[in-house]
Amino acid sequence: MGSITDKAILKIGKLTYTEKNWEALGSLGDLKVFPGDKEVSDPKQLFQENLQSGAYDHVVALYRSNDSTSLTGPFDAELIRSLPSSLKYICHNGAGYDNIDITACTSRGIEVSSTPVAVNNATADMTIWLMIGALRSIHVPYAAVREGKWRGPHFMPGTDPEDKVLGMIGMGGIGQAVAHRARAFGMKIQYYNRSRLSPELEKDAKYVGLDELIGSSDVVSLHCSLTAETTGLIGKTELGQMKKGAVLINTARGKLIDEGALIEALKDGTLRAAGLDVFENEPELRSDLVDLPNVVLTPHIGTGTTDTQAKMELLVLDNIKSALESGKLITQVREQLSKPKL
Amino acid sequence: MSKVQVLLLGEIEHAHKEWATLSEIAEIIEPKARSREEFIKEAKEGTFDSAIVAFRTFNSVTITGLIDEELVNILPKSLKFIAHNGAGYDQIDLHACTERGIRVSNVPTAVDDATADVSMFLILGALRGFNTSMFALRKGHWKGSPPPPLGHDPQGKVIGILGMGGIGRNLKKKAEAFDMEVQYHNRTKLPEELSGGAKYVPLEELLKTSDVLSLNLPLNKQTRHIISTKEFEIMKPGVIIVNTARGAVVDEAALVVALDKGIVASAGLDVFEEEPKVHPGLVANPHVMLLPHMGTWTVETQTKMEVWCIDNVRMAVEQGKLKSPVGEQKGM
Repeated sequence: MGSITDKAILKIGKLTYTEKNWEALGSLGDLKVFPGDKEVSDPKQLFQENLQSGAYDHVVALYRSNDSTSLTGPFDAELIRSLPSSLKYICHNGAGYDNIDITACTSRGIEVSSTPVAVNNATADMTIWLMIGALRSIHVPYAAVREGKWRGPHFMPGTDPEDKVLGMIGMGGIGQAVAHRARAFGMKIQYYNRSRLSPELEKDAKYVGLDELIGSSDVVSLHCSLTAETTGLIGKTELGQMKKGAVLINTARGKLIDEGALIEALKDGTLRAAGLDVFENEPELRSDLVDLPNVVLTPHIGTGTTDTQAKMELLVLDNIKSALESGKLITQVREQLSKPKL
Repeated sequence: MSKVQVLLLGEIEHAHKEWATLSEIAEIIEPKARSREEFIKEAKEGTFDSAIVAFRTFNSVTITGLIDEELVNILPKSLKFIAHNGAGYDQIDLHACTERGIRVSNVPTAVDDATADVSMFLILGALRGFNTSMFALRKGHWKGSPPPPLGHDPQGKVIGILGMGGIGRNLKKKAEAFDMEVQYHNRTKLPEELSGGAKYVPLEELLKTSDVLSLNLPLNKQTRHIISTKEFEIMKPGVIIVNTARGAVVDEAALVVALDKGIVASAGLDVFEEEPKVHPGLVANPHVMLLPHMGTWTVETQTKMEVWCIDNVRMAVEQGKLKSPVGEQKGM
C-alpha cells in the first residue's frame, strides 16, 4: 500500500468480480466504501450525513452504478451540489446514465465516464432473444408447458424474422451489434440515428427519417439514450403510425415509451407483440402490462452475465485509474467531449 | 377417364389455394375415421382403393396412429406414395413402406429457418438463464428473491451441432452471428462448401469439448437415446443441451439426472420423448427453457411446408415420382 495521500477514492455499492482491482487502486488514494458492510435502513440519509460530516472531503474520484442509485438517490443537480469540492471524476457503471445530471457535473468541473462497448454484446443478445420471443408469440405456450397444459389455449402461429424489416432507433454500439445479428436471421435493416454512420459501420443498413422508420418497419427496436428530448418518444401517435401487427422491442430505457399507450396498442391488435427488458417505473410494474399474453418481459437484465458484469466493473476501475494517473478518462460521456465521438 | 385419388390424412391449414389446384388432377378423399380402429376398418372396406398418394400431417397420428407395419399392410395396393408434411418422419416405418413398394417424401429446407430460430432462442435462454427471471417477474417479484445467478454470454463458447443437415447448417450461421465457435458431428464429413469452415469432429470429441450441444439429427433406430447416461458423463461440466429434433434422441430421464447432478447446467427443449407429456423433473427445474414443439410454428413456414408437400403430391400424380424422397429410399 502507498503512503497516505491527500486523495481519496469512493466506491458506492458493491463489486462482484473486481475487488482485487479495487484494492490495487489503494496505491493511488485512500479507499472509502459506501455503505460498506453495514446493513443500513436509510442509505440515502446516511449518504447525505457522510457528505455533510466531511467524511468524503478528499474524494477525487468515485465509482457508482445504475444499481447504486437506490443507495444514494439519483445524481441530480441537488446531490451534485452537495458533493465535495475535491471531486473531479464520477466513473459510472452503466451504458445509460440518465440518472446523472451531466450539465450540473460539467458546471462544477466534474468529468463523467460510462461503460459503452462492454455492454454491446449482452444487450444485443437480449434484444434478439426478446424479438424472437415476440415474433413467435412465445409467452402463452411457454407458460402452458410449465403448467402441464402443453400448448395452452389459442396456440397462435408466430411469424418468421426472415425478410422482415427491422427498424433501429439509435445505431450506436448496441444498435450495430443488433443489426449484425439480425442480418443472420435474414432481416433487412433500416435505422434512425442523430447522424448517419460511415459506410463501414452502416454496411447495408438504410438510413431513414424517424417517421419513415416507424411507418415501415415490421420490428421497431429502441437503442437510444434517455434524454429530455427522447422521453415518451414512442407514444399513442407513433404507435398508431406503426405497421399493423408490428413488434416493438425495448432494451434501452422504459421512459422512452408511453407504457399506457403501449398497453392499449397491444390489446387492440395495433401491435402483434412487444419484448421489454425495461419499464417506465421499474422495479414497479403495471399489472395490466404483466398480464398481457402477447408480451415477453425480463427484469432489466440486459447485461446480466458474469463476463459482461466483470468487463463493465473493470472498465469503470480502469477509468478511475486513468483519471488519477493521467488526468484523462477512457470513456468520457459524449456530452462532455468537445468533439463528438462517431 | 376417372381421376386418381389423393388421400388426405390431417388438415390443410394455410395453403388452401395450392391444395385446391390438386382437385384439377385428382379426387381428394378424406377418412371419416376418428380413430385408428375406424381407419383400419374404412381401409379394409375399400374406401380408399383408388388412392395412389397420401398427404399426411404430423398431427394426423392422433387418428391413424403411427404408420407402422400393421397400418402399412392395410393401405390399398394402389397407394404408392406417402407425402409427409414435416422434416422428421420417424412416425413412418420406412422398412415396411419399402417392402410394400411405397415411396415416402418429407419436407426439408422449408423448415430450416424457423427451427434454427427456435434453437437460437433456446440456446440464448438457457445460457442466459432467463427462465427464473421471466417467471419471477410475472409473479410480481421484480428480479426474484434471491435474484437468480447471472447467466453467460455466447461469445467465444463452442457449440457442437449433432446432425449437420439443413437445419444444423442454418443454425451454424446464426450461432456465428453471436460469435460462437461451431463444430459438428454428422454421419459423414461435409464438403467445405456446405460446412462453411465448421470443424468436423468425432462424436466423442463433440461431447467432450462443446459448451453447448445442439441436437439437429433425425430420430431412427440408430439415434434413439444417442445422448444418454454414458454421454452425459463425458461432457464438459456445465454444458447446455438444446433439442429441437426429436425428444427420443435424448434419454429424458438421464437428462434429468444429469441436470440434478449439475453435470448439465441447463437445457433448452422443444421436443420430449412422450410429448405432450413432459418429465416432471424438467418442469421442476427452474433453469431450463421448455417449449411445446413449436419449431416450425409460423404462418410463413407452415405455408411453405404445406406447399412443398403438395408439390410432392402433384409430382406423384403427374409424373409418378416424388420431389423430395427421403434419403433412405433414394435408390428405389
